[in-house]
Amino acid sequence: MAQASSDAVPRLERRDARAFMAAGGAFATLFLLALPTFGTAYTQNVLIQMFTFVALASSWNIISGFTGYMSFGHVAFFGLGAYTYALLVTRAAVAWPLAVLAGGVLATALAAAIGLTCLRLRGHYFAIATLGLGEALRIAVLGWDDVTGGGNGILLTPVKELVSSYYGMALVAALAIGLSWAVARSRFGLSLLAIREGEIAAGMLGINTTACKLWAFMLSAVVPGMAGALHGRFIGFIEPASIFAVLITVQMAVFALFGGRGTVSGPILGTCLLFLFQEQVWARFPYLHLFIFGLVLVLIVLLMPKGLLGLLEDRGWIAKGVVR
Amino acid sequence: MLSWEYVAQVVVSGLLAGGVYALLAMGLTLIFGVMRVINVAHGEFVIIGAYVTYWAFALAGLSPLVSLVLSIPILFVFGMVLQRVVIKRVIGAPQLSSLLVAFGVSIMIVNVALYVWTGEYRSIPYLEGSLRVGGLAFSRARVVGVVMALLIAAAFFAFLKWGRLGKAIRATAQSREVAAACGINVGRVYTVTFGLGAALAGAAGTLVSFMFSFYPEAGLVYTFKSFAVVILGGMGSYVGALAGGLILGLAEGLSQLFLSSKVGDGVAYVLLVLILLLRPQGLFGGPGE
Repeated sequence: MAQASSDAVPRLERRDARAFMAAGGAFATLFLLALPTFGTAYTQNVLIQMFTFVALASSWNIISGFTGYMSFGHVAFFGLGAYTYALLVTRAAVAWPLAVLAGGVLATALAAAIGLTCLRLRGHYFAIATLGLGEALRIAVLGWDDVTGGGNGILLTPVKELVSSYYGMALVAALAIGLSWAVARSRFGLSLLAIREGEIAAGMLGINTTACKLWAFMLSAVVPGMAGALHGRFIGFIEPASIFAVLITVQMAVFALFGGRGTVSGPILGTCLLFLFQEQVWARFPYLHLFIFGLVLVLIVLLMPKGLLGLLEDRGWIAKGVVR
Repeated sequence: MLSWEYVAQVVVSGLLAGGVYALLAMGLTLIFGVMRVINVAHGEFVIIGAYVTYWAFALAGLSPLVSLVLSIPILFVFGMVLQRVVIKRVIGAPQLSSLLVAFGVSIMIVNVALYVWTGEYRSIPYLEGSLRVGGLAFSRARVVGVVMALLIAAAFFAFLKWGRLGKAIRATAQSREVAAACGINVGRVYTVTFGLGAALAGAAGTLVSFMFSFYPEAGLVYTFKSFAVVILGGMGSYVGALAGGLILGLAEGLSQLFLSSKVGDGVAYVLLVLILLLRPQGLFGGPGE
């Protein structure tokens, strides 16, 4: 009888889900591509920020969601990208798309350096090392003030139109989603999940855990570097306190975990829902922003550690393994 | 250029700060050693201790050393409540859940501190001026701070070594199951341990409050300084924490001398990454993980 009653629950099955997601994805993509022709400046502004966080949350998810290694300093890559961009554009007059790419490259290089030192070790060492990373870069930027302008920041030439920022950020978000999709359906992605579920066992199966973790970390840094660069270009002014804000790391983590860690759609779903919620509700309590995020983080871990997608799966509303 | 006296002064002054760093790390190492929980909210506990001292001084004119009798019990209770309400639920879960929960708690504390006490830099005008020994001058605040830190650490050791509860804590650290089989209430030990770890952080916060200026977000710096000390000395080792603290203090002093004062808190981070690279088990740890 128990069987029968659980069958009675309408459930999203594999084939329906594929068709539904493909149609929904195609529609959303077309709509978002066409939006600058009819959307207001406000809508575009909100969407640019949303793209930014989709890109960040999806990237964070590669190292922390798939691999289970918590990166508490991911904002370092974002900030490094922004500063790389600003310095190249203002000091060396590099074309802006190249400067954006350079932001991604430098962020990846930083991830390689940090990863080589602390990914040989277990997760808690990595968490600790990344926790200080954003702060260390902020101190470095402040200290190296004859180049970076220190606490005064860098003023960039204002970009008057929104369209380039809109499509640029959309492209970067698409890149992040594409990367995590490629990871999720590959053997490499399975290795990452195996590491998350039991690193010693994964090693016994012949997975080169250190190399996998290092690749995952580098992959998770490239898009944040580019997103940081585009963000700098979009807002036209960067300074250490806001570009290396702990809140940015918190946001990517919370968005990704809320949707569902280790999935492709989780971080997208989490960002869309929580970002809109944040715009509508939390914006009224600007002084408690960080507090609410902290609370949500604690509640997610205690009440739905697998995120929204995991919760729906456990309730039987989505068949297992359909939504990735 | 660099006179001998000046170098000696910087070295000793760094070591003095290092004594306080050792106390800073002790609570962290206690909680990790017993509960295997990495408390990333440690620095925020330190900051709460510092603010308790600040307000006791500003509002009631209480001497910062006396306010240890406030900061220690307040943080002890705070730690115990936190353990009962939140941390308890993630012990035994994958280690990363406790990391995330502690991280969430830390940003909540920062936000409340910013909201209630504003982001202004605070410092306590107490024990200003310097102590002259031979041709050298040392900050009085640092000398008193390190003496208090060593006293508190000694009292804590005595408690762990001879106290009944201290023995129970050590037993639980060695083996949770065997301790439970011997009739130790492990849940209660965990609660007290977390409280004690927070209380040690609070005590360190009081000492820090009159040695350095602070603000709500400064907790992050203290968290990773504590981690640097703990990893230098080897996780879970108290003697190691003392040595690690002194090394960090010394490194900060020397880097100010030879590099620039701008590097400041970055030294702890560089040291942390270097030690992870070269000797992750700590200077005194065995082969380990």
